[in-house]
Amino acid sequence: MSDPGEALANAKAAADRIVKAKRLNACLTPPKELRQSLQKQAQAAHPSGVLYGMPVAVKDNICTLDFTTTCGSQILAGYRSPYDATAVAKLKAAGALIAGKTNCDEFGMGSSTEHSAYGRAVHPFDKTRVPGGSSGGSAALVAAGAVPAGLGSETGGSVRQPASFCGIVGIKPTYGRVSRYGLVAFGSSLDQIGVFGRSVHDAARVLSVISGRDPRDSTCEARDPLRLPTVPESLQGFVVGIPKEYFPPDLDAAVRRACDRAIRVLKELGAAVREVSLPHTPYAVPTYYIIAPAEASSNLARYDGARYGPRFDGALDVRALYRATRGTGFGPEVRRRILVGTYVLSAGYYDAYYRRAQQMRALIAQDFRNVFDRGVDLLFTPTTPTPAFKAGEKLADPVAMYLSDIFVVTANLAGLPAMSLPIGRIKGLPIGGQLIGQAFLEDEMIEAAYALERMVPGTEDA
Amino acid sequence: MSVTHEEVLRIARLAELDVDEATLPVLTEQMSRILEFVAQIGDVPASESAKPFVPGPDAVRFRADEVKPWPLAFGPDKLAPAFRGGFFLVPKLGQFEEEGQ
Repeated sequence: MSDPGEALANAKAAADRIVKAKRLNACLTPPKELRQSLQKQAQAAHPSGVLYGMPVAVKDNICTLDFTTTCGSQILAGYRSPYDATAVAKLKAAGALIAGKTNCDEFGMGSSTEHSAYGRAVHPFDKTRVPGGSSGGSAALVAAGAVPAGLGSETGGSVRQPASFCGIVGIKPTYGRVSRYGLVAFGSSLDQIGVFGRSVHDAARVLSVISGRDPRDSTCEARDPLRLPTVPESLQGFVVGIPKEYFPPDLDAAVRRACDRAIRVLKELGAAVREVSLPHTPYAVPTYYIIAPAEASSNLARYDGARYGPRFDGALDVRALYRATRGTGFGPEVRRRILVGTYVLSAGYYDAYYRRAQQMRALIAQDFRNVFDRGVDLLFTPTTPTPAFKAGEKLADPVAMYLSDIFVVTANLAGLPAMSLPIGRIKGLPIGGQLIGQAFLEDEMIEAAYALERMVPGTEDA
Repeated sequence: MSVTHEEVLRIARLAELDVDEATLPVLTEQMSRILEFVAQIGDVPASESAKPFVPGPDAVRFRADEVKPWPLAFGPDKLAPAFRGGFFLVPKLGQFEEEGQ
């Protein structure tokens, strides 16, 4: 597309679809503001851009000049960033249209998008269920067909898990592939911006645009943007590892059937499939839930009522101001994680928890290196242990909620690229399969995903 | 690993968070459950420990130390709840002094 008239029509149609999907509570931008901004952006977009006229919804923890950035939190209500995140600036430079900000768990802390100060997001196929999280708003909008692509962020599976629940493609790149500049920090050693698409190609081409070096983020590798692979005829020459720890005896039967079918397809496509072991996998969730809260407790110290967002006035001194602002501005899950993070970093507990978790993280990363060093190119696993769960089902038990991330947090801990794509359904609910690649070899992972997507009946019952 | 109400309140003070009395029992129970859950990493013998792992570039790249034009669309006066003459306005520091900090 290079016709400005078409871009304007595209913008209007996208705004209509997003407004129509209001029941999902997925978009936090008011309809009038969204329509005006999309029209303005369509008029300003450069027709030569590779994403010219493509509407992309952006998770509300990624800074945008055009819309507020609240991170799904009351403590940043009304906050407008004075700059665009690098990923957003790159999208705009490629001609994409930022199609509003999407609902998310507060500061990315959650697996269901129920922990948002702006109400829970709703699963696009079943209103009694969650779309996953924390990037559930972007996932729901893409799955509902309101936008072809969206940005999310991952600290522990927050793109792949909702992609799996909503039946779309979600890619988390290697740590350092995409700039974190303008991504509101949660766990800095884990955070990455990821992408959603209705197809592997849509997700991959958005990833290609936002990837690459950024002098504003020292953790972003000085590499060229990702080059998209072609769709392969076969997977001859690929060695795909199936880690046995990701197929426990209590794995949901439909998820297992869908994975078995996808593995058969991998073999039919010519890939060599072999069982492998990642022995420290059972410790990944506990490790993650020490490291991420520890980093969050530090990163979120900046929200104190002095510099950002609303403050809760009436305090007699500055310390009371901090405590009142933070105590009322943060929701229960964020408060819980800040407290756990502060606890594991406090004197007397640091060695038993935080230092030990860092060592465990090294062992988990070493597990992956051992497998890849033995000639395995990619790993295939289920993305989640079950399809989308019911709203409210896991709210009372934080650990049960955390365990829904059991197959996704390892890639964040090891900094590896990983993606989820639809591999089947059960009673209308999508099931996702996960590919985990080697660092900075997203092209191989996407190549295999292209082949799988073409051959696996992703919308048929498993 | 269980925590007591007093420990939760101590941690909340360190984290600069008000915790109200009504939510304290549930919060204490949930924190105990989370800490018990994460403590299982202690089951792996320490001899298996490896050097800490940090993803990303091996070395930090420093930016050139030069003055550049203001990169933001607007200044902190537009963001802060109270701002005057280049400073963020906050209440007095009374309690810090009382607690000897």
